[in-house]
Amino acid sequence: MKLTRRNVTAGSVALLAASSIGAPAVLGQAKARVVVVGGGPGGATAAKYLARDSNGAIAVTLVEENETYQTCFHSNLYIGGFKTYDEIVHRYDALASAYGIALARSRAMQVDRDRKEVVLADGRRLPYDRLVLSPGIDLKYDSVPGWSKEAEEVMPHGWKPGRQTQLIRERLDAVPDGGTIVMIAPPNPYRCPPGPYERASMFAHVLMATGRSKARIVILDPKESFSKQGVFMPDWEKRYGAMIEWLGPKVHDGIKSVDPKTETVVTGFETYENCAFVNVIPAQMAGAIARDAGLAPAGGYCAIDPATMKSVADANIVVLGDACNAGDMPKSAFSANNQAKVAAMILRGELVGAPTFPARYLNTCWSLVDTDDAIKVGGRYEPKDGRIAAVETFISQPGESTEIRRQTQAENIAWYDAICADMFT
Amino acid sequence: MGWDGIKLRHTQSPAGFALLGALGLLFAVAPVQAAGDRALGEYLASECTSCHQLSGRSSGGIPAIVGWPEEQFVAVLNSYARKERDSQTMQAIAARLSRDDVTALATYFASLTSKP
Repeated sequence: MKLTRRNVTAGSVALLAASSIGAPAVLGQAKARVVVVGGGPGGATAAKYLARDSNGAIAVTLVEENETYQTCFHSNLYIGGFKTYDEIVHRYDALASAYGIALARSRAMQVDRDRKEVVLADGRRLPYDRLVLSPGIDLKYDSVPGWSKEAEEVMPHGWKPGRQTQLIRERLDAVPDGGTIVMIAPPNPYRCPPGPYERASMFAHVLMATGRSKARIVILDPKESFSKQGVFMPDWEKRYGAMIEWLGPKVHDGIKSVDPKTETVVTGFETYENCAFVNVIPAQMAGAIARDAGLAPAGGYCAIDPATMKSVADANIVVLGDACNAGDMPKSAFSANNQAKVAAMILRGELVGAPTFPARYLNTCWSLVDTDDAIKVGGRYEPKDGRIAAVETFISQPGESTEIRRQTQAENIAWYDAICADMFT
Repeated sequence: MGWDGIKLRHTQSPAGFALLGALGLLFAVAPVQAAGDRALGEYLASECTSCHQLSGRSSGGIPAIVGWPEEQFVAVLNSYARKERDSQTMQAIAARLSRDDVTALATYFASLTSKP
């Protein structure tokens, strides 16, 4: 049996072990250095937990180009009028003031794996002992024929936070009664599996609430099925009648092209002309910095060791959240936040001899269907056969009582407040 | 194998029993206030704080769990594990916690003070 620190310090023996083998794993320098790239649920959480729990023994630098963070999670609640924009914007100040994290306000451009440095857009090179990459997703602009980076102003995706979220809301507000919204849903795997369908729900909610009941929403999906479909679809019919129409690939026969100039979407089955609004949610992949570092296959996501969240290509690098392939865990804020805590625990064990424990993971995704009517899906996950595998799962059921749905939405709201407090305070 | 702290409690190998016995003796003579392993509790608790705020604040839909008496904490988690209390999320979580996990969590959260 290989006697590693991980084995020895786990569980009840931690107290005994702490005094004997608590020496830093990285010797010959004053402080271990961790650079964290990306200030979302993965990166912000990892930075905070590394800094807070190492009591200054690890120098943590968070690289994030934006001064504030707008959450993608609950951006649909902003679109649906349930939250103001200000309510989904957060600041990084407390991470610096409360935990001593150094904030590098720049864009991380490149990872120099040989020299163990991150190269920033402002020219700085940040050396690291361990690197946490949590860059999120990049959009595949060529995945929908006729659509492009230039077209994202006209046919917005709203799948990255900021101006795009606001564009979706503005376009929704301008839809006339009787107008048609076409949403092109993304293929798997993508950020926030139930997100497109919660968004369609919010479109319908706003249209109904503003007397535009003759408008319709057509979802063109490249997938045969989608997250929480068995709950969403009966709920849509109950809440919104025929307003939301979901078409799978066997029905629409493929999305052939879009034309931003004429707001047209062509499928193998039908051509939708003069759409009031086309929401293109394209295919996705790991953020460029992770792909360019050779941590992901072309157009894909980064393979990780499920026990540590470390890249299988580089043991000095952890990849969190949407940019990694986390097995059965969906790409969600909850997942990224949860993975960050496993990674922080593992890295503190390596760098400062803190106790380590077997990784375990958790996720829940709530989706709002209508006022006080939310549904959820989630599970517990553990490393198994080289991947993160679900060991317990749960999902809302169709026909649940209004009280259960109201309670689920109350959970959703409370979770948002808690995860934001967990990330930013 | 089976020398892994958490798995050891599940598999209960003879070596594990011997070791836990020795530790139990050690703890019995030492003035140990907390019943659960603090480091384990702190790690496991990090999973809870995605929904239950460490400050003890609560937005209503998810209860605060800071500063509860340990016996109460253990009893509530056990009732979720037995599916006697409703909450799909908490039932799924409790189902995967060992007795030592629950004790460690109870000790950790009991040691915190609410800062509303």
